[in-house]
Amino acid sequence: MNFPKPSVGMLPNDRLAYSAIPSRKPLKLPKGARMVVWTITNVEEWDPTQTMPRTVLTPPAGGSPMPDIPNWCWHEYGNRVGFWRLLQVYDDFKIPGVMNINGVAVQSYPDIVETCVERNWEFIGHGFTQRNMQKVENERADIRKSAEVIEKATGKRPRGWLGPGLTETWETPDILAEEGYDYVADWVLDDQPVWMKTRGKPILNIPYTQECNDVAMMLIQHHKASEFYERAMDQFEQIYKDAKGSARVMAISVHPYIMGAPHRPKYFRKIYEKIRKKRDVLFWTGSQIADWYMKVGPKPA
Amino acid sequence: MHPRERLAYSPIEGRPLLKLPKGVRLVVWPVLALEEWDMARPMARMVISPPQGQPMLPDHPNWSWHEYGMRVGFWRLRKMMLKLGITPTVTLNARVCETYPVVVKACIDSGWELNAHGYDQVPMHKLDDQRAVIMKSMDVIEKFSGKRPRGWFGPGLTQTFDTLDYLSEAGVEYIGDWVLDDEPVTLKTSHKPVVALPYNFEIHDIVMMALQHLPSDQWHARALDHFKTLYAESAERPKVMAMACHPYLSGVPHRIGHVERTFAEILAHEGVVSWDGAKILDWYLDARAKSVA
Repeated sequence: MNFPKPSVGMLPNDRLAYSAIPSRKPLKLPKGARMVVWTITNVEEWDPTQTMPRTVLTPPAGGSPMPDIPNWCWHEYGNRVGFWRLLQVYDDFKIPGVMNINGVAVQSYPDIVETCVERNWEFIGHGFTQRNMQKVENERADIRKSAEVIEKATGKRPRGWLGPGLTETWETPDILAEEGYDYVADWVLDDQPVWMKTRGKPILNIPYTQECNDVAMMLIQHHKASEFYERAMDQFEQIYKDAKGSARVMAISVHPYIMGAPHRPKYFRKIYEKIRKKRDVLFWTGSQIADWYMKVGPKPA
Repeated sequence: MHPRERLAYSPIEGRPLLKLPKGVRLVVWPVLALEEWDMARPMARMVISPPQGQPMLPDHPNWSWHEYGMRVGFWRLRKMMLKLGITPTVTLNARVCETYPVVVKACIDSGWELNAHGYDQVPMHKLDDQRAVIMKSMDVIEKFSGKRPRGWFGPGLTQTFDTLDYLSEAGVEYIGDWVLDDEPVTLKTSHKPVVALPYNFEIHDIVMMALQHLPSDQWHARALDHFKTLYAESAERPKVMAMACHPYLSGVPHRIGHVERTFAEILAHEGVVSWDGAKILDWYLDARAKSVA
């Protein structure tokens, strides 16, 4: 189908042609491993003078009051208390951390940043603020500033990007590639990494998840906490089975204000109690996945 | 003020310890909310949406839902609390003193703390004169009960950037509106500081049942999971666990059993006590003074 093309940027299928997963050349992981799991923690800072990105409690008779102090406090709880609970799970199971963080949060939550730097977590860009990229005034400046504050705080320029709410404009991948990012995870459309065309050099997309994601599961679908574990295990078992002949990637994504609430970390922990022991499953960061794929996967078209 | 001007970010790990009295490690804070839903306005919450989804005025079915809570649900919750020896913080729209005096009297007779929850169930943003409504809410409850409330919850926990200054001016010593920590914290205002007690959005019947539509037994399952985490952590730092009940949600026949066994099982643990907000505040003010080295 020929859809009308945007004036700037590209249509999705112009970046990435359709490809059926069984038709591809098998991908092999080191030492006979079948699959990779990467675990992303999203740290956000919400601007109390704006509408909150998500809400846990709506005001009486509805509407979106401004300011929205209760829901601002909800996210702040995640960074004061919840994050430290999730950290224990990462520590106990030696999970290589991926910190997906808003640029403003790097400055506002230095304790979280220092803790993750000490543990050598990978930091990736998550927008300068938690705002839809389509509403950001200057997308390039936002993407560049996000990289700069992360580099300043951690000593390393981020190689990866995951947009706020996965939002993109038509040209986000072009700008990311031009600004020096090596991979993006906004395109949840495959179980393997894929190369995407941009107007400059290509950019890699790494499999992320809307399924094992606490925003979708707990806030939008309103599942009980134990469903996070149940679903993650069902997802894991299927991907493990699927990965018999060719490697696949599974993502698990959490937010401190959701998964860090006291009644939920137990189910996050239970997942790793089960899967961390598997000898043929690798626990990697996004960069490790990118480096592996760039080495063994098909070269960009 | 911007929230961070009232309270700087601080990670819970590494703070000076607040000490609970000997033998106590976790405080349960039961909160019972009593509301007045004005039939001239859209209802605060809805259990049934009208055909074709068009909001209607007056909204008899949803008004009745809330009224059931005051006619029946409250009395079930009261019986349960008396049976378990729980003294909740009763947060009430001040107008409830005028429209449901028998309910408020029953609370006073049980020795329960009254906490101001606005005049009626309208967000603070929608009030023309917030300051006057805050003062009126405090005055009405004081006049009815003989005691000025020490605590406050905004309707839907709503605040504007200046609400706290008016609250302090009206004599409010603590609020439950800032759900951002497991410990009480002290907030700056343009008058005296106000303490934010650790309320929560998780063991909260509106959030669980009216917004997230969880099955009734999740009242118990989520609360116990929540409790187990806090109880384990309370070996190192004191913890407060709020549980929020509204008569039209927690007082209905299919939920009350789950609510009751939740309180009973949690309170059966060693070192767990049930305190009202005023008592938690008094403990905190004392512990805070002692924790400053």
